[in-house]
Amino acid sequence: MSRVLATYNIKGGVGKTSAAVNLATLAAHDGAQTLLWDLDPQGASTYLFRVKPKIKGGGAKLVRGKTDVDGQIKGTDTDGLDLLPADFSYRHMDLALDGAKTNRLNRVIKPLGEYEYVFLDCPPSISLVSENVFEAADALLVPIIPATLSSRTLDQLHEVLSGGPKVLGFFSMADRRKKLHRELMEELGREHDVLETVIPTSADVERMGAERAALVDFAPRSRAALAYADLWNEIRARLAS
Amino acid sequence: MPVVTHVLPEGADLSSARSALTDHLPLRAGRATRRTTTFYDTFDGRLHGAGLTLQHTGTALALSVRETGDEVASATVGAAPKRLFDRDLPAALAKWLAPEIEMRALLPVARLRTHELPLALLNEDTKTVARLTLSVTDDGTRGRVTATAIRGYESALERVQTTLVEKLALPEATVPLVDEAIAAAGGQPAGTSAKLSLALDPDEPANVAAARVFTRLVEVIRDNFPGTLDDVDSEFLHDLRVAVRRTRSLQRQFKTVYPERLQHFRDEFKRIQGVTGDLRDLDVYLLDFDDLKASLPEKMQADLEPLRTVIERRRARALTATRRALRAERTAGALSDWERFVTDRRPSDRTVGSLASHRITQVYRKMVKLGSAIDDDSPAEDLHELRKVGKELRYLLEFFASLYPTEVVKPFVKTLKGLQDQLGRFQDREVQANALRELAPALQDSPHTVMAMGVLVERFMQEELAARAEFAERFEAFASKAQRAIVKEHFG
Repeated sequence: MSRVLATYNIKGGVGKTSAAVNLATLAAHDGAQTLLWDLDPQGASTYLFRVKPKIKGGGAKLVRGKTDVDGQIKGTDTDGLDLLPADFSYRHMDLALDGAKTNRLNRVIKPLGEYEYVFLDCPPSISLVSENVFEAADALLVPIIPATLSSRTLDQLHEVLSGGPKVLGFFSMADRRKKLHRELMEELGREHDVLETVIPTSADVERMGAERAALVDFAPRSRAALAYADLWNEIRARLAS
Repeated sequence: MPVVTHVLPEGADLSSARSALTDHLPLRAGRATRRTTTFYDTFDGRLHGAGLTLQHTGTALALSVRETGDEVASATVGAAPKRLFDRDLPAALAKWLAPEIEMRALLPVARLRTHELPLALLNEDTKTVARLTLSVTDDGTRGRVTATAIRGYESALERVQTTLVEKLALPEATVPLVDEAIAAAGGQPAGTSAKLSLALDPDEPANVAAARVFTRLVEVIRDNFPGTLDDVDSEFLHDLRVAVRRTRSLQRQFKTVYPERLQHFRDEFKRIQGVTGDLRDLDVYLLDFDDLKASLPEKMQADLEPLRTVIERRRARALTATRRALRAERTAGALSDWERFVTDRRPSDRTVGSLASHRITQVYRKMVKLGSAIDDDSPAEDLHELRKVGKELRYLLEFFASLYPTEVVKPFVKTLKGLQDQLGRFQDREVQANALRELAPALQDSPHTVMAMGVLVERFMQEELAARAEFAERFEAFASKAQRAIVKEHFG
């Protein structure tokens, strides 16, 4: 059975897609068959992989089991990493999931046992999609920007989730030169279980949009890419424990 | 994912092949690499026969399906090994390979130094939609281009294939690379068989047909000489000895067509068999050792180990003696003289069909007579004698199988084999029990080992009795009225 890892945050713009794309690429580099499902209707990770954001029949048919999932999966430029693309219709996914007795995301993911890892790149907000994700995922990878508002995310998540997936929070887009960032990281680190690796704020990460590739592929020696590699090792260790 | 492989033009290098492809397809080149690939098989081509290919590249040992190239299993090892037995294989590979190779060693059968260039076929978004690899070698094999589909973009592979065939006239590769590599290295992809595989004509003069069988047997002996001398695996000596034993059997069966000098050659082959016998016996003990050990009660198992040391020490001495005897000029001379002796003869008046039928009938009748006289009180020697005669019959049927209808020979051999296996079990147990008794004095300082050996001897003796109890039933099938009628009809 696949390990399902969801990058999730109630807020947008915190480095979710960047984490999903880079971590999934690193997993594939390790030789693990990996799938990334871009659940965000804006399709940022689909764009980065140069794949057309299109699911035949739309998201509703896909989660209702009317569309053959296998036929929708696309290989990426990275050997071992496949993508289940975004579709603009995912913005109505809540409607498609409403009223279902079973977890429909799970029903799509379960038969894909050939993949050692399935990454879910989730849209922000707490919604039916999120609830389905919480149930399907073995772990939530939660990027946190060390700013007051963003940091409340962990508290909110712990309120929503009890007994669900592992919540692996990590600092993202952190700037150690800022006093506020340093103080918040220290404080949060004391109060919550947050991973040790910090993904720094970096112009290299922003270049992903122009390069249309994973940072760990086009600049593997950059500081942020090395941080993703550390983060992946830490996550794997946590999954094994 | 679907893969296609096409052959590059003779003499093509990476850059010429790349520019030819780039003229027709939007490609992005990766970094060229060099690597060395070593292919492995047993001497008799067991992996080839099983439809498998084992190759070492970099630090990976990978097993794949011959025809499709699909990888079945792989493992990380160090440098390319010189020789691999089942016990040396990583578990992921042993599962597949051990049942195929049994006691044989996997040996390097070809080595290729390859230059490779990965190419990505791009679409209008410069996304990779198919992966290509150009590879050329320094070792006399033709270069290849391999294209692999990417999930969701299968139609791109069709486009590549159309270009390769229609624009560049590159034929699809039909021979697996491993076969081409072995052929380029001067070897045979299917390995070296010790089987006879002869088609004889019943009207041929007996000595002419016999010469073909004898010549083939000398060939098998020579094929297995180097591996025996280098002590590669135990099967070399075994196959060599089987060919010697078969030669001796046919010498006995066909002695009427040869003059008196035959005795000289019979003595020479007897000598070769004699000087290799100890080594083979000790090989068999070592091959069986782990099974014997495992058959003991668990707390006695470790006690048997000192026996292995004694056997290994004796084997080392036997190997030296065998090498000396086989390397001696006398042995090489005897084989050449023998070849000349059997091929330089005037054709005899008797046809091989008539002589073979006569001998098969005679030996069968002798077996029926000997077997019918055996009862519960007969000494063990009577059963041994029956087995020896059975071997003669088995060889006759093997040598001359092509002279008779398959539907007659096959069931005949099967019934005979049933009897022989049973007689063999009986004799093996007796031989094993005697061997352990003989080895016991060498282990007088290890009383626990001797005790463990005692447990084995006890069991061998019981199994010997059990095998004997089965004799009557097996013999009845072999000597049945129906079987006698068949022999009379086809060989009489």
